[in-house]
Amino acid sequence: MTRRLILFTIPLFSLRLFAADDALPKAETILDRFVEVTGGKAAYEKRKTEISTGTFEVPAANIKGPMTRYSAAPDKSYISIELDGVGKIEQGTNGGVAWSKDVMQGARIKSGDEKAQSLREGLFNSPLQWRKMFSKVETAGVETIDGEECYKVLMTPTEGKPETTYYQKKSGLAVKTTGIASSQMGEIEFEAVVSEYKPFDGVLMPTKVIQKAAGQEFTMTIETVKTNPEIPADRFELPADIKTLVDKK
Amino acid sequence: MRTILAMALLAVSARAQLSPEQKQLNIDSFEKVWTTIRDKHWDKTPGGLDWNAIHAEFRPKIEAAPSTEAARAVMRDMLARLHQTHFAIFPSVIYEDVGVQVQGDGETGIDLRVLDKQAIVTTVDPGSPAEKAGVKPGWAILSARGKELGPTIKTLQADPSITELTLVRALLARLTGPIGGRFAVIFLDGENQRRALELPLAEPRGQISHFGNLPAMHVWFESKKIANTGYVRFNMFLDMPRVMASFSDAVASCKQCDGLIIDLRGNPGGIGGMAMGMAGYVEDKPDEKLGTMYMRGTTLNFVINPRPEVFRGPVAILVDGSSASTSEIFAGGLKDLGRARVFGERTAAAALPSMIEKLPNGDGFQYAIANYVSEGGKPLEANGVTPDMEVNLTRAALLAGHDSVIDAAVQWIKKQRTPE
Repeated sequence: MTRRLILFTIPLFSLRLFAADDALPKAETILDRFVEVTGGKAAYEKRKTEISTGTFEVPAANIKGPMTRYSAAPDKSYISIELDGVGKIEQGTNGGVAWSKDVMQGARIKSGDEKAQSLREGLFNSPLQWRKMFSKVETAGVETIDGEECYKVLMTPTEGKPETTYYQKKSGLAVKTTGIASSQMGEIEFEAVVSEYKPFDGVLMPTKVIQKAAGQEFTMTIETVKTNPEIPADRFELPADIKTLVDKK
Repeated sequence: MRTILAMALLAVSARAQLSPEQKQLNIDSFEKVWTTIRDKHWDKTPGGLDWNAIHAEFRPKIEAAPSTEAARAVMRDMLARLHQTHFAIFPSVIYEDVGVQVQGDGETGIDLRVLDKQAIVTTVDPGSPAEKAGVKPGWAILSARGKELGPTIKTLQADPSITELTLVRALLARLTGPIGGRFAVIFLDGENQRRALELPLAEPRGQISHFGNLPAMHVWFESKKIANTGYVRFNMFLDMPRVMASFSDAVASCKQCDGLIIDLRGNPGGIGGMAMGMAGYVEDKPDEKLGTMYMRGTTLNFVINPRPEVFRGPVAILVDGSSASTSEIFAGGLKDLGRARVFGERTAAAALPSMIEKLPNGDGFQYAIANYVSEGGKPLEANGVTPDMEVNLTRAALLAGHDSVIDAAVQWIKKQRTPE
């Protein structure tokens, strides 16, 4: 009896696996489709620099402040957030260095998974660069998020922890990413929900990100995006105290 | 007469009567409190309790609460079941501007501790009404506004649930009132003579600091040299830009000091991360940490990031029963790392990291989100920080112009000096 059950079970699993493979698109297709539905490769490639402004907020704690992000091809970024009672928080990437500087902890250069993660986030036109960012991508199933069926794509970076992004079946847009973020304080589970896509010079971008991590919720809202503005080269230069730390290393 | 009494009772009752909307806001507030603890307490069974049973027990009580005060009491009773600090409900009035006189934020500039069952002045803020009136450290405060403090001290000290922190705060509250107001205080001076003074109430020391949902608070920072030892003291780990910059300046100006004293007595804490940031000015080893915070699903290390200029001499940290939360994280961590010697009295043992949110009815809700274990392996919540050298303040020393805790730290630092 047991033997027969096993025999019957194996074909059932085989059928199910076959059906699953057949129904789910390849992760590569989903990621390339995201580029297409948000403007297409050509639109992305016209962009060489960007300045975006908005707000960063911890709603439950009533903490809010302005946020400005500068970025330039291929991998330069600088973000500044100013919060009442906390002061200025700065982060940047340039020439393979990922750094942060704030009133609380001072200046530091990132290392390990945290550095790899920041360098990935600092890549300009990152949706185009997924092949460079991730060594393996796979479609892991379908889940419903806010009433919409989404493909669940598991992405393993060349360095660091894997993350999962959910792309709507219908629109092709990314709506959520979950994973483990690396920080100086340790590894932190996070969930980032992106929404309110708006076009900026031919490219659709989410203007709202709600991130949950370490029991707290953070909201980032993008209000303006300037494409291809002149950005002074020194904007991305490492601050003096970061340079000192780099030289020491 | 009975009619008048009945009418008066009716009037009081009518005034306390909640509208259906207010009642619903209180119920919503209760649900928010209960749900937050269910979802965010670091322990899936908060306080080892059956949290659903707690809901079943308290929900009818909140529905029956006849006033917002009664609803607040129900929520406080529910939180008390956890037997953990940093779970509290604040009345909505504390969110109003600190500048409003009816809030009673005026102070005399006196700090006090209870020594030998008496409220003793331990410090007098420079330029404060108390200093101008000639009040000195070591004076005993016998009464304020015509009420003797002795019976209050006796009652509160007899209650095992009242901590020193609560006791001191309760007594200090007797010395506050509307800014610009005045009140009578009777002291016992250095000659043990009764001195009746009319003390005005002034703006508290420091600058107003706003941080999220916390009520606006006055934050001050002082630094000086005692002989060739640096001394810093600040009343809270808040106003991060100003306090961190002041701390940095104090350390920078102390490169040639024999040692550094960080006085956290009376400091109730504030932003936990500031403990890491300040530790980076005195600890030069990379990858050290003060302790570990355990949250549901996340473990955070309180990592020290050494600053470019680190003070490498002896560090003394002063604490007492009113040093709480971030003060304990800082003192406990540096003690465990062997980087600082702690002087004074055992701390408040109230170190749980917490958030403060506004409830639908306007009250504030403070809840702890994590447990915290100091680098030495002990949770601070139950234990506090035990000083390396227990030193108690005495009235006699204060009257003689000495702070015995500072004196002990200075003596220790002198002994640490390496002979040239």
